[in-house]
Amino acid sequence: MTPLILALIAVFAPLIVATLLVIVRPLRNTGKPAAGLSVIGAVASLVASLALFWQSVTGHVDVLQEVMWLPEGGYPMATIGVQLDGISVSMLVVVSLVATCVQVFSLEYMDSETDADYGRYFTWQSLFLFTMQGLVVSPNLLQLFICWELVGLCSYLLIGFYWQKPSAARAAVKAFWITKFADMGLLLGLIVQYVHTGGFGWDDTIVAGLASAGMVNVVAAMYFFAVMGKSAQFPLHVWLPDAMEGPTPVSALLHAATMVAAGVYLIVRAYPIFLAAEQVMPVMACIGGVTAFLAACMAIVQTDIKKVLAYSTCSQLGYMVAALGGGSLMGGYFHLTTHAFFKALLFLAAGSVIHAIHSNEISDMGGLWNRMKLTTVVFVIGSLALAGIPLLSGFYSKDLILESLYEATHHDPIYWIPFIACTVTAGLTAYYMGRVILLAFFGEESEKVSHAHEHGLAMSGPLVLLATLAVFAGFGGGQLGHLYGVHDYHFSVLHVTPVGGLAFLMALSGFGGAYALHTAGMGEGLKTSLVPLGDFIKSGPVDRIWVAIYRQVLHGVADALGWFDRYIIDGLINAFGAWCLNFGEQIRGMQTGRINDYMHVVLMAILILAAVSQVWLRMGGA
Amino acid sequence: MELQILLSIAAILFCVGIYGVISRRNAIGVLLSLELMANAVNLNLVIFARYGDGAVGQAFTLFAIALTVAEVVVGLALVVLLYRTRHDVLTELASDLKR
Repeated sequence: MTPLILALIAVFAPLIVATLLVIVRPLRNTGKPAAGLSVIGAVASLVASLALFWQSVTGHVDVLQEVMWLPEGGYPMATIGVQLDGISVSMLVVVSLVATCVQVFSLEYMDSETDADYGRYFTWQSLFLFTMQGLVVSPNLLQLFICWELVGLCSYLLIGFYWQKPSAARAAVKAFWITKFADMGLLLGLIVQYVHTGGFGWDDTIVAGLASAGMVNVVAAMYFFAVMGKSAQFPLHVWLPDAMEGPTPVSALLHAATMVAAGVYLIVRAYPIFLAAEQVMPVMACIGGVTAFLAACMAIVQTDIKKVLAYSTCSQLGYMVAALGGGSLMGGYFHLTTHAFFKALLFLAAGSVIHAIHSNEISDMGGLWNRMKLTTVVFVIGSLALAGIPLLSGFYSKDLILESLYEATHHDPIYWIPFIACTVTAGLTAYYMGRVILLAFFGEESEKVSHAHEHGLAMSGPLVLLATLAVFAGFGGGQLGHLYGVHDYHFSVLHVTPVGGLAFLMALSGFGGAYALHTAGMGEGLKTSLVPLGDFIKSGPVDRIWVAIYRQVLHGVADALGWFDRYIIDGLINAFGAWCLNFGEQIRGMQTGRINDYMHVVLMAILILAAVSQVWLRMGGA
Repeated sequence: MELQILLSIAAILFCVGIYGVISRRNAIGVLLSLELMANAVNLNLVIFARYGDGAVGQAFTLFAIALTVAEVVVGLALVVLLYRTRHDVLTELASDLKR
């Protein structure tokens, strides 16, 4: 089959399923058959994506097929279509692979839901897969923007899946508001870009047009603002931890592997624009570095296993953004790929634990190794990959990021900020993952854990598959670099540079610190002295700043506008109305109320007008 | 000469209507006088159509008559309402506009 047809299958198979499930309500409410249909859609998408991937590895896939949309005066104002190259094809595989794993996992994870809820869950999963695939193949930023909003909608629906819970409903609304606020940047950027270039693409002519208009930094900054919302960069990251109110597989798919990576993907796609924006690049790198560091600090103090992973996701997205800001497309995109696998793995493993003991709290866990061997093994593999232990996938991508940031410091000393932040974060990452492993999977067995047991094939199968990928995905680095069109990247398995060695040492010391503090029982004094700081971080200082801005600034502006509307605009109208009434009262005395009198007036008026017109005519008027 | 006579008849009819509208206290009388005025106008139309060429004026008169009928329906409805609320049809009873 031609690449185009495969891509259409990959995009539209989930849409057909989703449409069917949305429209045919009895089918959706059957539960299991609806879920089966959804998985079939995902598998179809996966198979088509893999076939495409195979074609692009063995040969070369470069397809750009567009259809006219919004015709304006005979030529299209915009196009929609499919762009297939190394970047989009590999992302198609990542998305459909993780989505398939997550949907299969959900078959068992969600089995305590009613049939109607079960069907509703899979309907939205299918819808999400379609929107995400549509985003991936977008040949221009307008189509990307449409799909960007649609994945945001799916995120909202799935975070609020347990809408009966007030906290889940609130989290969904919070995620929606913050990402919409950030999306204003993408919309405004698109408008500015269209005004100055007449196109929504990202090719060289567009960049040249923006550069000659002097708008390239402005537009890139606007796009980056949207990325900060979607990819949860500081200080817009506050929605992501709350998004953990959704079902755990949703967190794995949307809020770890794919949807939050859409922001990074936007930078990767529109990279020519960002590369031309010389003032925006260092800002991106610094925000990424700061996010990586702060989110890792927040992950350390969380007691909810999903929140640890959520902050970890923020932190890793920070790495990707920092790498892209540092000018390394390969570093950012490679890490996106590997991160998708090991973070989805970690979330699904956490979901497996949560399903077994019905609690998110790490304090309710402990000693899971005795009950759930497979889950423990895959969680440890995911953690080691995340921490960047050599031979696992995370090592190669993270090493590449740190190296590229280190190289960037030669051009501009400001890159020391992200480089140091990311290097320190490597240690913190190992520390918080080590802490979770030691507290949740080893140590003393708690009451709830004693009833825990491993789950069936639907849950363990995806775990094993993702664990395999978390180990081996890194070895495909050279191949991926070739696909992405990056030619200065040479992959080798035993590739140790001073920077990589430093990161490895940081990771080891992080694990060592976790062992010393949480298992060996050392440093009690240090722990007690840091409790107030931990409590401060846990209380959500950034959230409080946003709430304060919301209450003071937004409410203030709203009150001022409300006052203006009530007293100035309404006041003018009311004053005019009152004046009319008053004037009417005053001239009311002229009225007699007798119809005959009015007829007299009319007759007199006619006669006078007739007389005037006669005189006027006689005088020789027109 | 014939034309002037005919037009005079229409003018007299119109003046009678005006006089009725002004002097009548009974609302039904006012309505009848209005009809006289309207028919004076219709008569004018027919006369001019007769002395001009073509039948446009005559056809137009038919429309005008139909419209007059509709107008009378509304007027009579007002009179009926006046009778229901005031139990009489004298025009000075409908004088709410004055203070």
